[in-house]
Amino acid sequence: MEYFFQQFINGITLGGVYALFALGYTMVYGIIQLINFAHGEFFAAGGYVGVIVLSFLGAHGYMGTHPWLCLAFSLVLTMGYCAMLAMAVEKIAYKPLRRSTRLSVLLSALGMSIFLQNGLMLTQGVYDKAYPTAFVQGGLDIGGVRISIMQLLILGLTAVLLFILNALVFRTRIGKAMRATAQDKVMSALVGINSNRIISLTFAIGAGLAAAAGIMVGLYYGAVRYDMGFVPGVKAFAAAVLGGIGNITGAMLGGFIIGMVEIMAAAYVPHGGEYKDVFAFIILIAVLYFMPTGIMGENVDDTRV
Amino acid sequence: MKKSLARILFLALALCLVAGGAWAKTLKIGSISPLTGPYAADGTDIKNGVLAAIDAFTAAGGVPGYDKIELDAQDDASCDGKQTVAAANKLASQSGDNKIAGVVGAYCSGATIPASEILDEAGIVMISPGSTAEKVTERGLKYMFRTCGRDDDQSKAVGKFMKDYLKAKTVFIVDDKTTYSQGLADNVEKECKALGLTVIEHDHVNAGDRDFSAVLTKVKSANPDVFYISLQNSSSGGLMVSQAKRVGITSKLVAQDAVFHPQLIDNAKEAAEGMYLTFGFIDENSPAYQSFAKIYSAKYGKIGAYSSYAYDAATALLTAIKNSGSTDAEKIRAELLKMDMPGAAKRIKFKENGDSGSNYIVLVIKGGKFVNFWDPETGKTF
Repeated sequence: MEYFFQQFINGITLGGVYALFALGYTMVYGIIQLINFAHGEFFAAGGYVGVIVLSFLGAHGYMGTHPWLCLAFSLVLTMGYCAMLAMAVEKIAYKPLRRSTRLSVLLSALGMSIFLQNGLMLTQGVYDKAYPTAFVQGGLDIGGVRISIMQLLILGLTAVLLFILNALVFRTRIGKAMRATAQDKVMSALVGINSNRIISLTFAIGAGLAAAAGIMVGLYYGAVRYDMGFVPGVKAFAAAVLGGIGNITGAMLGGFIIGMVEIMAAAYVPHGGEYKDVFAFIILIAVLYFMPTGIMGENVDDTRV
Repeated sequence: MKKSLARILFLALALCLVAGGAWAKTLKIGSISPLTGPYAADGTDIKNGVLAAIDAFTAAGGVPGYDKIELDAQDDASCDGKQTVAAANKLASQSGDNKIAGVVGAYCSGATIPASEILDEAGIVMISPGSTAEKVTERGLKYMFRTCGRDDDQSKAVGKFMKDYLKAKTVFIVDDKTTYSQGLADNVEKECKALGLTVIEHDHVNAGDRDFSAVLTKVKSANPDVFYISLQNSSSGGLMVSQAKRVGITSKLVAQDAVFHPQLIDNAKEAAEGMYLTFGFIDENSPAYQSFAKIYSAKYGKIGAYSSYAYDAATALLTAIKNSGSTDAEKIRAELLKMDMPGAAKRIKFKENGDSGSNYIVLVIKGGKFVNFWDPETGKTF
């Protein structure tokens, strides 16, 4: 039973990372029906900015005295940086193509992903960059189940960010404007919503969440590398589709399901470690077979097919 | 009008190239290693090792008949062999003044095996600095050599260490399913069984995974005496070791040559302290290593695991070309088989099948450094 709870904690942690990551895919898709392939690169960039800021603070001795303050500071800075990066990417690569076919935007997104990943490789090098992890060692032992500080941190931060996002989207005017733009760009523009600004903002929020996930993953695993966004990106995208792409609650749910299935497959299926991704995608296929729009997906209306 | 102008320009350019070839004769050698993708760190070390060897060779007078030595460094991006085959085809198809006299590479065994078939057929010598799977030199290829050791020898060394020194009874093995890492892990499993150690489980992860929490929790609850880690590179190795510590695994950690890289310690930090791994014995006090280290670190920075092996491979290749006075594969092969000289990593002396012998020892990570620890030959600590 301890073993099960331990694996459950592992699964929910990984799920939290996927959930944060998947939100960016789903929000962007919801608003402009684009699968933003460059999203994984915001995650990786977040990991790198985080380690750069933390190392800088460490070199000046602040990490030793105020590690948590440093972490909060680097988190804010990184999320801000990636939000701006995402807005720039949107302006350069997607906005000029807004009126062209969906395929060309998709290709532009693919190109942006390759460009950003290689840019990261050329500027930061092919080697891993190690995170300062001394302050997140240790953890709690509850009846033989060990929850590390890092896992608590990921779960806590995920919960806080998801809560803020929910409040933002469903309780504020900006959120209302976002939902309106997602429903109908022309109509929302007619009632005075600046859709360009809202689209920009959506990219920024999605990238900010991915950046937060990037820092968390860097701290959790101890190091970042330039191509770290790719594989989790595929999983997070699967999570977004599983939950019903375009649906925010669905993306969160999808993230947790994919993370949990992956861990449980590795934990309980003999030789599951090598097939854990297979199980994650089998679940995806099975759900899509019975619910083609995903778990929380809306009915498919003909404008979106 | 424009078209004809372009044509004239093109002709002029082509003429220049041909004429340039006649004036300055360049010896071309190739390298194949992953310069991008998950194994980019080791691949870059290999390329730099070859470049350092060319620098050293040029400084010592170069190859008679050539003004300079040039490297055609191919990137095979991964370990799956697809791009390696493309790179090998590219190198093999060069002709005339661009003909490749020999190739250093590839890194992963799974890449070297298909690429070497192509190069062997094209009559190009290939010397691998890092492919340790037995199969690499057991296919009867004439022009396949390697400067590193063999996995069957490596698994014998580690088996002996686990039994005689660690007095282990139970072992949990994890590999990441590449030709090399799984092949080695299978050998270790066989070796453990032959020595009477119990292999609790032999599990696998995917190459490139970053989250190992599930499998590590499994290891923790199995609580083996030794947790044997066979991963394709130090990047995954660092992640697995630091996560193992966090999960609370108290078993002895034993790993292999592919994670031998400063990157492992950079990433895993204190978590790597006390872990063991096997690697070929490199005498860092030997004059050959010293002169390699001086040239290499001045220009390319930190010395990676396979830098010295790549340096030796390129040095052997260039020496054979120089001594034979030819770029003919048959003559280079004859020279390579005759060769017996000190190298940076170990003595350069090839057997008929292309192997250069193994000299695996056990190292331990202590004080943030790899320290020679135990010699399986003598059964004693250093």
